[in-house]
Amino acid sequence: MNPGLFRLAVVGSRSAYGRLAGIAGGVAVGVCLVLLLWGGANGLSARDDRGAWLRETGRPAVAVPAVSGDPSASGPATPVPMTAGTVLMRTNPVEIFRDQLINRRDFAALSPSTVKIPGIPAPPEPGHYYASPALQRLIESTPRDQLGDRFGQFAGTIDDSALPGPDSLVVITGATEAELRLSGRASLVSDFTTNPYGGSAAAYNTVLLIGAAAVFFPVLLLISIVTGLGAAQRRERFATLRLIGASPQTVSSIAAVETAVPSLIGAVFGVVLAAALRPAAAQIPVNGTRVFEADLATGPVAASAVVAIVVLASALVAGYRTSRAGIGPLGVTRAVHEKTPTMWRAVPLMAGLAAMITAVVIIRVLEVHLPWLESPLLIGGFVLILAGIVVIGPWLTQLVSRTGLRRARSAAAVIAASRIHKTPVATFRSVSGLVIAVFVVSVFAGASSVIQTTEAPAARPGLLQPTSLHATVGTGHTPARVLEAAHRANELPGIRSATIGYGPAALHERDAGPEIFLRAADAPALGFENIPESETVAVDASLLHFWTTQPLALSPAPARALEGLVPVVMVLGTDGTPEAMDRARTAMNSSGVTAIPATSPMDNKLQSSTRLIQGLAVLAYLGMFLAVAIAGLSLAVATASAVLDRKRVLGLMRLMGMPVSVLRRIITREAAVPLLTVLFLSVGLGFLVAWLMVTGIDDSYRVAWPTPDYFIALGLSLLLALAAVTATFGLIRGNTAMAATRFE
Amino acid sequence: MSTNDTAAPILSARGLHHSFGQTEALRGIDLDVHAGEVLAVMGPSGSGKSTLLHCLAGVLVPDGGSVTYRPAGRSAVETSALGEPERARLRLSDFGFVFQFGQLLPELTAADNVSIPLLLAGTRRPEALRRSRDLLERLGLDGLGAKLPGELSGGQAQRVAVARALVTSPAVLFADEPTGSLDSLASENVLTLMLELVREAGTTVVMITHDARTAAYADREVIVRDGAIGAGYRVSA
Repeated sequence: MNPGLFRLAVVGSRSAYGRLAGIAGGVAVGVCLVLLLWGGANGLSARDDRGAWLRETGRPAVAVPAVSGDPSASGPATPVPMTAGTVLMRTNPVEIFRDQLINRRDFAALSPSTVKIPGIPAPPEPGHYYASPALQRLIESTPRDQLGDRFGQFAGTIDDSALPGPDSLVVITGATEAELRLSGRASLVSDFTTNPYGGSAAAYNTVLLIGAAAVFFPVLLLISIVTGLGAAQRRERFATLRLIGASPQTVSSIAAVETAVPSLIGAVFGVVLAAALRPAAAQIPVNGTRVFEADLATGPVAASAVVAIVVLASALVAGYRTSRAGIGPLGVTRAVHEKTPTMWRAVPLMAGLAAMITAVVIIRVLEVHLPWLESPLLIGGFVLILAGIVVIGPWLTQLVSRTGLRRARSAAAVIAASRIHKTPVATFRSVSGLVIAVFVVSVFAGASSVIQTTEAPAARPGLLQPTSLHATVGTGHTPARVLEAAHRANELPGIRSATIGYGPAALHERDAGPEIFLRAADAPALGFENIPESETVAVDASLLHFWTTQPLALSPAPARALEGLVPVVMVLGTDGTPEAMDRARTAMNSSGVTAIPATSPMDNKLQSSTRLIQGLAVLAYLGMFLAVAIAGLSLAVATASAVLDRKRVLGLMRLMGMPVSVLRRIITREAAVPLLTVLFLSVGLGFLVAWLMVTGIDDSYRVAWPTPDYFIALGLSLLLALAAVTATFGLIRGNTAMAATRFE
Repeated sequence: MSTNDTAAPILSARGLHHSFGQTEALRGIDLDVHAGEVLAVMGPSGSGKSTLLHCLAGVLVPDGGSVTYRPAGRSAVETSALGEPERARLRLSDFGFVFQFGQLLPELTAADNVSIPLLLAGTRRPEALRRSRDLLERLGLDGLGAKLPGELSGGQAQRVAVARALVTSPAVLFADEPTGSLDSLASENVLTLMLELVREAGTTVVMITHDARTAAYADREVIVRDGAIGAGYRVSA
């Protein structure tokens, strides 16, 4: 291509420089977000990989022989001996400090042991512990009786390679073999799993891909909108080139190069920007912990691929659009009329819904397990629905604008409705990002709502009190030792009561009975009101289960019922302050008599969400933030583009006396009508898709009504739209001045 | 400078100066435009005639000098001393504009394009459309009210622009090369219809043109050269 010709096409005026800067800036933001998003996905994946070993459950530490002739019966359990190639591990389901979950693993090992526990040089000695740096900081800044006493003596920190993130709270403690075996929860481990998702890997990947598609889509829209910036101005310039002899192919090539150059500059700047923002991005806590900065790096290959794809795609689109615009020597020779949208535009949306519904029917109604079909249907359906909203939008917009035009009364309404009616695709494109953002927000709000269905239990008689903590007692501890531990705990500040429950055997043993016995005098401390006239009372053992929501009644027990029973549970009542709760936990966990870490009915709120749903929530936060931010940017760019492309005719209207306020109303209406038309569809579809997605993945979850946060997010999206449109008001005044009406 | 001696000027410019950066576009122009006259402003490209029209119409505020507008039945107003909102209101209510090309909103029908000034002035839409269609009919465009600008010929589009400029019955019509983009036949057709309507309504016209044949339709012409009025003579009584 002739460099002089190219220079003539690309440069030469302040507005051309502004347009090129706009394209470069928009592409920079888009590429930066793509790389940060990619890095985020890498980071989450790396985080899961680092923490995979925590999913290790080991194999049983006892052997239970079958009884010959009776497949349902089993003989007495015998311990499987530990060897140098195995360690005994106790997985503690809940170790909580304040409202934070601590991953705790207790190990007993022979010396020497060949088992490599991730992140530490050797298994800790009994009474010693290794902690993650974040947990050790927490321990050091907290009174020992609230946290540190739970773990023993500090032996060292766990290496980052075994920690999901820099904020991860992980502790590896040393214990004796007897202690772990008595708890009834020990297992033998010879090596640690590297599969971070276990059986739910496919479902997790499905959610991850759907989330990625949802967030990438607005980014692609942004890049598409930005590269179309000032298309009308460019057409004038290209017409001049045609007049002086450039062929249509030359003009298309110039358009492609003209877009490719600022796109390349913007894309490279985007890569630099992403690298610069990586430390800041690493500070964002996701699911309670940040991600290691190194995990957010995408590497030069990925960055180069993103740059190449974005530049190539934007150049091809620009060249194609120009070749289709029919630019002749005297300008655009044929009016570029948009095709009237028809109801065929509903097909992709319907196809997407059909795909997702089919997946749900296969999984839930037919109950056929076809993983090779389910995920593609769910992901493909989701992508089709995303695209379908963008495709159906112009048709719905045109239907609404037709009615609007008939009812229009003011000049602004007539001008805006006419433009929307004649160019529904172009006008809808400017708000499509926001419409998609609202859809994404609704999907994530709907999908995340399953987490929020678990409410904190209320204090009710007949149930364990929310301010109490309990722990089952291990096998073989004498009543005197357990009582002594309870009395010691009872003397701590904030602890109001210490109650021991009894049974025929430890609750994890086969001989454990269905009831727990306690002294009637201790019952009020547990919150019971109607106490039978008896020295000893009994209550169903389900009292200890977090899913018990119906109050239980006490029944009288024989006076000598406690004789021959063993302590099976210790319950501490507290004043409900966080300090007292953690003091009680620490007292019980360090007492040496409890089989599991102390739990409170309140803890359920912290752990009821599964790993999968937590992953979904992570994507929800990322998706909501990115989609809304990008969409606001897209709308601002598209609105600015709409002003720039019509600056001459709008300038003439101003010259004839049309107030700037009317021009503002026109621009606002042109954004508001398509936005509001499809907004409600987006919201409805978002929740429908969330339900299909959640049901398709696991039917034990239910989509609930969105929380106020969702409506706040929705309101913020609309405010952002208003802000984006308002931001262009200055552009209206500046670009519709008298100078804009001249055509040289 | 040439003036009509019998009628009071509806527009008076005194000592107009205006510059764009280092370029002096107007250098102390004095000009009176009388009510009901058709004034042609001629001159070579870059002579300052469009700048003069924009100053007279209150689009531009001159760097020096003044423009006074004397509407019938109302007190005179110095437009060059008004703020932009007041000048915009004045342009909307008292002035009409026709340009060379590209002045119609491409997505609006011809009737809607014509009705916009009425809607801006607060007229109800059915009434505005009725008046627009009436005017289009008088300009020989009956039946074309529902067409888009892109579906009209150059001459038809220019007559729609004339209709839009006259629909509010302005006191002064400013026309900047109104037939500059038309062939001679279409040009004659547009000018004849436009002048027929303005003479019937008594509208004053300030028309910029390069074309002597177009200027021949005017009552008077002035020539602007290098930002100053060179010569003027009455072409018809």
